[in-house]
Amino acid sequence: MRRKFMKKVTASGLVMVLMMTMLTGCRFGFASDPDDPNEEEKEVPIDTSVDTFEYDTSLSGTNITLLNSKAEIQVALEAMGAEYEKKSGVHVEVMPVTDGDSPYTKVVSLYNSGTPPTASILDTTDVIALAEEKAADLTGEPWTEEAEGYLTEIDGKIYSFPLCIEGRGIIYNKAVIEEALGEEFHPESVTTQSAFTDILDRLVEAGIEKPVSVAKEDWSLGAHHLQYIYETYEGTSEGAQEIIEDIKAGKVDLDSYKRLSEFLDMFDILKKYNVAKGDPLGADYDEMAIDLADGKTAFWFNGNWAWPNLSEAGAEEADEYGFLPYFMNDDKSDFANEQIQASPSKQVMLDGQIASDKEQAAAKEFLNWIVYSEIGQQMLVKTCNIIPPFKNNPYEPSDPLSADIYKKVHEEKAFNASAIVPNDHWAVLGASMQKYLAGRSDRNELTEDIQKYWDEQE
Amino acid sequence: MKSKNNGKDFCMFALPGMFCFFAVVIVPFVYGVYLTLTDWNGVAKVKNFIGLKNFSGVMKDGQFWTSLLLTFKYVIFVVLIVNVLAFAIAYLLTRGIKGQNFFRAGFFTPNLIGGIVLGYIWQFVFSRVFVSIGESTGWKLFEVSWLSDPTNAFIALVVVSVWQLSGYMILIYVAGFMGLSEDVMEAASIDGASGFVKLKSIIMPLMMSSITICLFLTLSRAFMVYDVNLSLTAGAPYGTTEMAAMHVYEKAFTSRQFGVGQAEAFILFIIVAVISGLQVYFTKKQEVEA
Repeated sequence: MRRKFMKKVTASGLVMVLMMTMLTGCRFGFASDPDDPNEEEKEVPIDTSVDTFEYDTSLSGTNITLLNSKAEIQVALEAMGAEYEKKSGVHVEVMPVTDGDSPYTKVVSLYNSGTPPTASILDTTDVIALAEEKAADLTGEPWTEEAEGYLTEIDGKIYSFPLCIEGRGIIYNKAVIEEALGEEFHPESVTTQSAFTDILDRLVEAGIEKPVSVAKEDWSLGAHHLQYIYETYEGTSEGAQEIIEDIKAGKVDLDSYKRLSEFLDMFDILKKYNVAKGDPLGADYDEMAIDLADGKTAFWFNGNWAWPNLSEAGAEEADEYGFLPYFMNDDKSDFANEQIQASPSKQVMLDGQIASDKEQAAAKEFLNWIVYSEIGQQMLVKTCNIIPPFKNNPYEPSDPLSADIYKKVHEEKAFNASAIVPNDHWAVLGASMQKYLAGRSDRNELTEDIQKYWDEQE
Repeated sequence: MKSKNNGKDFCMFALPGMFCFFAVVIVPFVYGVYLTLTDWNGVAKVKNFIGLKNFSGVMKDGQFWTSLLLTFKYVIFVVLIVNVLAFAIAYLLTRGIKGQNFFRAGFFTPNLIGGIVLGYIWQFVFSRVFVSIGESTGWKLFEVSWLSDPTNAFIALVVVSVWQLSGYMILIYVAGFMGLSEDVMEAASIDGASGFVKLKSIIMPLMMSSITICLFLTLSRAFMVYDVNLSLTAGAPYGTTEMAAMHVYEKAFTSRQFGVGQAEAFILFIIVAVISGLQVYFTKKQEVEA
């Protein structure tokens, strides 16, 4: 009897173990995460022979922490921290924000537990929310001179260090277009909505049935698509702020606001040629990268942060990818039709509340090291693969998307405007945009949603 | 003498637990209620007392009431299906069928996988596996991802929750069935009760204590659902599958209306506490001793 019982227990235990391994097995079977910080990246050699940066030796031995909300550069930042420690003796610990945690929530909880990071990489809205209570004043730091035009001022003071420029638009795969059309493709020659539609029609004729990918994610629809209506108001951050204030105050009637209807015209075009037209809300993000790299599609609305996905999908650095603007109309002289949006996106904020003077000084030195030391400059661009917002940085990013943005920024083919909107803008209006994308609401309903959203803001 | 000893025992056994419970449940709860009366945004150093303003904010938040209604719908489906299914399967698995231990373990396994992982696995199933089945067979049912249609996405949520919760409940019901006295069963059979009558008049009343526990667990778990909701649909499509707990989180941390979110959490707590309290009271009344 007892033996039988034991046998049963062992048997069912074995079964459990088997089942568990089977199930966890399929968990690991998924396509690998492009943001996975543990993934091995090929090392770009950094020349450390020249270093004219002057280190403050009294800071040696200080420990600082850096909260990183840009998962794809976690490994690179650690390498950068290690290199800086070798030179200065300051230890930089890079803490990642785990997937699913918002950087803001993380930094707030760290503040509430009394252990805030010395420096944190945050979005601009987060910096604005935290600056006055928590941040160290960075006005007058040496690097501010090199970042002219990319600084965020709050009540006349600077509280954050712009880490990178990011830009977005319609990514094209040049090879695919040229192969389909049998002629050379000059992206700069496309400067109107109808010219763009023309190319799309010709691609359809040439056999690419649905040449465009549109992500269904609410951050893409609610922030990256919809915010064009503010950012193209006049192509500056101040302009974006102005139109937002006017919408809030009811001074602008959205029904007759030109940029909104133009934006929707363009969105309708993307919608019409969407590869996932049958089930737009079932579109898969990773698959879009594969489709573009494989030539099933020719265009993908996204930003330079999509490179890791594309590269994972098989795109090579030598391939020709680049950006087309988000065409608003047929007016060739409209800046929005020949410039793409590119502006600083991630900001480094220093803690001014709990961190000791020494820690603050060390963190400030680290920021200056990134901007002024030969090693820091190289690592920011080559190791982190970032488009630097600093004029004195001579290095160019190597992946085609970042390189294209870099080129456009320097040729003044990019406008620097970022709309500062409430933090739930992307979530709330992203949902309305999803509804519109799926064809379950019309322009009127969407416009009403936008108006309602702004009416509810204080 | 006796009472003194009891005091010592209490201190030894219950105090550490009491302390933990107090520190991580009671104190934060009371503090949370206090926060609903302030304008604290999670960061500021000063907290201003603003009375019931946050609660009037809740009244104005239409999305909260929509998601609460959806949660009720979800709870009804999940509680009913899970308990009926678990009861039936547990009944079958205590009748000595071949390989019943294997099945018990098998049904329980989904419960061992965390909600987040489970959600991602099923997301893959619904949006990739089903769609490719649909593509190759042409079945209308699987033509588009279930997660892109509000009704189907809701059904998907219910299916996954049922799949996850049933195993646990089966375990409790199996224990209940094993505890049924053979004598009583035999007596019932001799008295001529069979099939449905036996189930209704003998088994059900004797199983009432298991039912109380299972109903309570499924009710509270279904009301508080967050992990599966987040990883399976994240409220998609366009916010139509956002349950109450998720809305509370979004309100507090995405919309950064900390006070309103906290007030909504408090309202949700009261609703869940009242409903599960009533359920325990009424089902307890039905319990009998053999």
